[in-house]
Formats: sequence, structure tokens, C-alpha cells
Amino acid sequence: MGKATVIPFGPQHPVLPEPLHLDLVVEDETVVDCMPQIGFVHRGLEKLVETRDYNQFIYIAERICGICAMGHSLGYAETVEELMGVEVPKRAEYLRVIWHELSRIHSHLLWLGLAADAFGFESMFMHCWRLRERILDIFEKTTGGRVILSVVKVGGVARDIDAGQMSEILATLEGIKSDYGALMRTLLTDSSIKNRTVGVGAIGYDDAVALSMVGPFARASAVNYDVRSFGRGAYGDLADFQPILDNQGDCYARVKVRCLEVLQSIDIIAELAAKMPAGDIAVPVKGSPADGAQASNVLEQPRGECYYYARGNGTKHLDRMRMRTPTSQNLAGMATALKGCDLADVNMIILTIDPCISCTER
Amino acid sequence: MGFRQDFEPLALSELHGFAESRRAEGWRYVQTLAVLTEEGVDLVYSFMKDGHLANSVVSIGRDAVVPSISDLFLAAFVFENEIHDLFGVTVEGIAIDFEGSFYQLANEAPMTILSPEQAAAREKARKVAAAKAAKAAKEAGGASDAPAAEGGLEAKLAAMDPEKAAKVRAAMEAKAKKEAAAKDAELEERLKAMDPEKAAKVRAAMEAKAKRAVSAEEGGE
Amino acid sequence: MGSFRLGGMTLGSLFKKPETLLYPLEEKPAPAGLKGHIVNDVDRCILCGICARVCPAGALAVDKKARTWAIDPFRCVQCASCVAACPKDCLSMDPSATPVAAKRFEVVREVPEQPKEAAAA
Repeated sequence: MGKATVIPFGPQHPVLPEPLHLDLVVEDETVVDCMPQIGFVHRGLEKLVETRDYNQFIYIAERICGICAMGHSLGYAETVEELMGVEVPKRAEYLRVIWHELSRIHSHLLWLGLAADAFGFESMFMHCWRLRERILDIFEKTTGGRVILSVVKVGGVARDIDAGQMSEILATLEGIKSDYGALMRTLLTDSSIKNRTVGVGAIGYDDAVALSMVGPFARASAVNYDVRSFGRGAYGDLADFQPILDNQGDCYARVKVRCLEVLQSIDIIAELAAKMPAGDIAVPVKGSPADGAQASNVLEQPRGECYYYARGNGTKHLDRMRMRTPTSQNLAGMATALKGCDLADVNMIILTIDPCISCTER
Repeated sequence: MGFRQDFEPLALSELHGFAESRRAEGWRYVQTLAVLTEEGVDLVYSFMKDGHLANSVVSIGRDAVVPSISDLFLAAFVFENEIHDLFGVTVEGIAIDFEGSFYQLANEAPMTILSPEQAAAREKARKVAAAKAAKAAKEAGGASDAPAAEGGLEAKLAAMDPEKAAKVRAAMEAKAKKEAAAKDAELEERLKAMDPEKAAKVRAAMEAKAKRAVSAEEGGE
Repeated sequence: MGSFRLGGMTLGSLFKKPETLLYPLEEKPAPAGLKGHIVNDVDRCILCGICARVCPAGALAVDKKARTWAIDPFRCVQCASCVAACPKDCLSMDPSATPVAAKRFEVVREVPEQPKEAAAA
């Protein structure tokens, strides 16, 4: 039994996409306890509702995080529409879901690259990001922006995807599939990757439920929860949607769940593109939210379930806008997963919750 | 599985027992948030089960002490530290307590500091609500239709927001002034065409009338 | 002993066209509809100021008395709210981004007087 040492991890670390500080209490290379600390990118964005009205705030909501930009603008718009009782046309709902699923593919590809980089497989990182570039090109062609799309607005969407662009999107996704298949086979069957991920950071089903975990982090521990299965918006028109689950609960399971979710998203986009209705892409929204009105909303972002809350006060400025992001919900799970692991596995475990700390702190 | 959401009030004293019953029935904990209100702070606790998102609103004063639910739901420690740092709400018994240094902030409880824009927006909302209430009371009291034109306009002005009302009033005054100026110009034209002696008499009469009007106004003031 | 699983992809990439461009010798053509920078067709502008009120970044300034329309291209976040809100459709997004500069500057445009006959016609 060795002496306990405290090793500080972060906020600057090559493996972390965003600043997170951990104090790891270590005894002879085994982590015994961990104390997370965040707060390095707190920008106080929720206070900006006081100076930006509800139409302008969507551009701030987008910029909370670069990876989840589409998700936040979509969740915010849906919440304000619920608050003001606005119904969005069907075509706009389909377009929003298509862009959101493309955003999920790009986020998972980004994450797969980072996970590979975490254990030193840099060429896999480059290949994943090379495929991700094709998705960003789709975004650029259809919305005008690569990362910050600015295409969702309260009442609908700002741009349309015509038939030519849609067939281009589907062709690009088909083209990604073959290369992506090779990457997926490598990630899931290569023995060196398996040595680093199988059995590492396992969380059982009961712990996952007790810690209220969300997203692929929880689905890898067999927690069957995905907001998309509620069938709201265009998700309700899907023939059959089953969340991807795995019951091992270790890092390998989380990698596998995210890999399969990319393929599932490609299928969702193809199905919705075939069923796309014609119609308007936005309705005009007039007036302001009523005084004291409240609305909440949940959305399945790439990292999990994101909760939005809005309250109006009779003026064009919202009284309160709150986004509870999936990573803040998963911090407790991460702290538990880190107990009892080897010091060398700390990077992998932190990365498998897909931390998006700028979303957590806003 | 459909999705529905609702908001229910909850008393602070029942909070911990309520969270226990939720846990026993298998509800999943979603989040905790705080909203600043006129009287104090509203805390919204959300739980979800089978597509039903149940939000419970607990209204408390600024210096109330809230029991922590992180002994039942460990994931709550993040939000309880956050509401302590940003709103200054005292939460007792948090499982992992950062005691104020969760976010490194320059000001204490920054979300309770009202910026000038927010204060102005709330004032405006209060005035609009007061005007609306006054109008509703007047209509309920059955105001007569006789001074409809003037009275109606005044009521409309009161119901509009103050900036716009001021602009409308200014426009009305400018219009009145322009009409008066036009009348004067017309009179000048007629005087020029008249006989010079008659013109002088008319001018003298006009000046006397103007002086009387001014003294009457001042006397009235 | 693992096998070289990415072998097929690696070998193929020796013969395929590279994914990257030799920038700055080659440049990617900007797609139409790219949110680059705001352009104002001043002949149609009526200096109503709606664009300045709608801008979430406070990048636009409209002075009705001096008849100028100004934009700070470095504050602009390319959201295109002003383009959507303009009642005369004189604002548009040009697909080339504001180039990198050493000093911030403002773009000020003089809005010419609208000839009365043209307005009436």
C-alpha cells in the first residue's frame, strides 16, 4: 500500500479538447479518488438574455460550443416556439433534423479522431477528420457556414435545401460509408485498440441509473434512453427508431455505440430525404412571450440529452434562458468511472464521456 | 411513447421528501435551475419518467436555506454548486461542495445583479401590465362613449408603451402648431390685399386678442 | 499480432487524389451562399435603421441626418439577420470573407438622395 499523491490533470493537456481540471489522488499508479473542477471558460452567456432579444439570442446560443452549435440553436428555437405557441411547418422540421443528424455525424467523427489520438493512433485521427471535412463541406454549401451554421431561427429555418443539393448530400454520405467502414472495422477489431479500451472504466447499469447519466455514455451501460425515441418533430415520421445499446459499460462499448450511431444517422438522413414534404420553411413570429410563461424542452445532442428552459416577462427579452448540457450531467459519472483505474487510462476514460466543457459552463 | 411536460409548484419544506419519493418510483433526475424573480429566487427541479417531464417550481426568498438532494442523486452536485455561485442561494449538504469556487467569478452572485437594460425592460413590462390592468378596469366599469374621440385617444396612449405615447403626443402637437401657422399665413395674405388703414385696425385687434389669451393662460396656470 | 488493418486505405491513398489543397497555390472556390461579408446596394437604401436594430452584434450604424450607413466588418458575425430584415432588399451577403487586416476599420457608405420622380414612379 503506497503513499497517496495528488497529481493535477489539466486544464491544459494534449488529450483534452477543452479545459478541465482534475486532482487525482493516486497510490502507486492507481487512481483512488478524483476531484473535478471546471470554470475555466465560464462566459456568463445566460446573462446575455438581458441585452439581446429572443430573436438575437439564438446567435449567442449557437456560439456556446462549436461542436454542438446546431444542437443548441435548434433546442433554443424549439423552446421559444413552445413558449410562444408557434408551430413550425413540416418541411422546416425535416430540414432541422437533417442538419442536426449531419451535426451528430460530424461530432462523432470528431470524437472518434480524438479518442484515437488519446492513445496515440494519430493516423486514425487524420482519417476520421478527413471524412469529417466532407460533412463540413456539405454544411458550407447548404447553410453558408462550416461550424457555426446560423441557419435555424425562431419560427423555422432560414435556408432551404433543394433537390440537387439533397442528392449531393446523399451521394457524399454514400461515399463516406466505404471509407468509414474500414475505419470502424479497425477501431472495433484491432487488438492494440482493444487492449487500451476493453474493461477500462466500466460502469454497471445500476450505477448508470443512480448517477443519472445520459447519452452514448449511458447507452453503453444498457440504459435505454434516447430523446429521439419520443418521436417529436420529424423523428416521429421515421419508420422505426431504436437507440443503440451495449451492455458492457466500458470504454470499448462507448466507442462501439458512437461508431454505430454514425451509421444510424446516415440511414435517418436518407429516410427523411426520401419523405421530405414540400411547403414553407418558416412562419413569421410576432409579439413577445407572455409574462410568467414557462417552457422546457429536451433534445438529443450528440453527447446526450440537453434540457432547455425559458421564461418570458412580457417584453422582447426573455427573463431566463437555461441550457443544461449533457456533460454537466455526466460529470458525476466520470468521477465515479475514474476511481480504481490506472493512471494511464485516465485520458481514455475522460474522453469517452465526450466532454464538452464549454457547453457545461456557458 | 409520447412526450409531455408540465410545471407544478412545490413547497421548500417538502423538497427532500419529494425527491425521495421520485427516486423510489424510478424517476430519472434531469436538472436543477434557478430563476431570479421580484420576490426572490425560483428553483425548478426536473424529473423524467416514460416521456413525462415533470418540472417542480420551488419559490424561495434570497436567504432561504435549501436542502441538497445530492445524497439521493449525485449528479445534482454540479447544479447546486452552480446556483450557489451564480445566484447566492445557500444549499446545505452538497456531496462535493466547492464552497463558492466552482466558477471563478469576479462578482458575488452575478445573476442577481440587474443590468440597466434588464432593469429598464422590467420597468417597461410593469408599466405595460399596469396600463393594461387600468384599461381592463375602465372597460369593466363601463366608460361612456361621449368623449369617445378624446377619451379613446387618451386611453390608447396610456395603453401604448411610454416611448411611443410620447412620440404620438409630440406628433399631435407638431400637427396642431403647423395648422395654427398655416392659419396665420393665410390671414397675412388677406391683410396685404386689404386697405392699409383697415389692415392696421385688424392687426391692432389681433394683438389685443393675443395678449388677452396669453394672460388668461397664465392666470389659468 | 494485429494485422495492418488500414493497409487498404493507406495503399489506396498513394494513388488517389489528395484530400488537401496546396494552399495558397490552389484555393477552394467559395460556394455560392457562403456567408462572407455584407454588401449594401445604397441606391435602394432608405436609411430606415431596421438593420442596425436587428443586428445581434451591434455592427451596423445608420445615421439618417448625415445619410451614411456604416458596418464594422470585424464585429459582424455573419448571421444574415440584417439581410432578412431589410424592407428594401438592398443588403446581401457576398461569398468572400473579410480579409485579414492589421488594423480594424469601418466601412462607411454614403447613401445618395432618392430622386423624387424615381420614388413616385
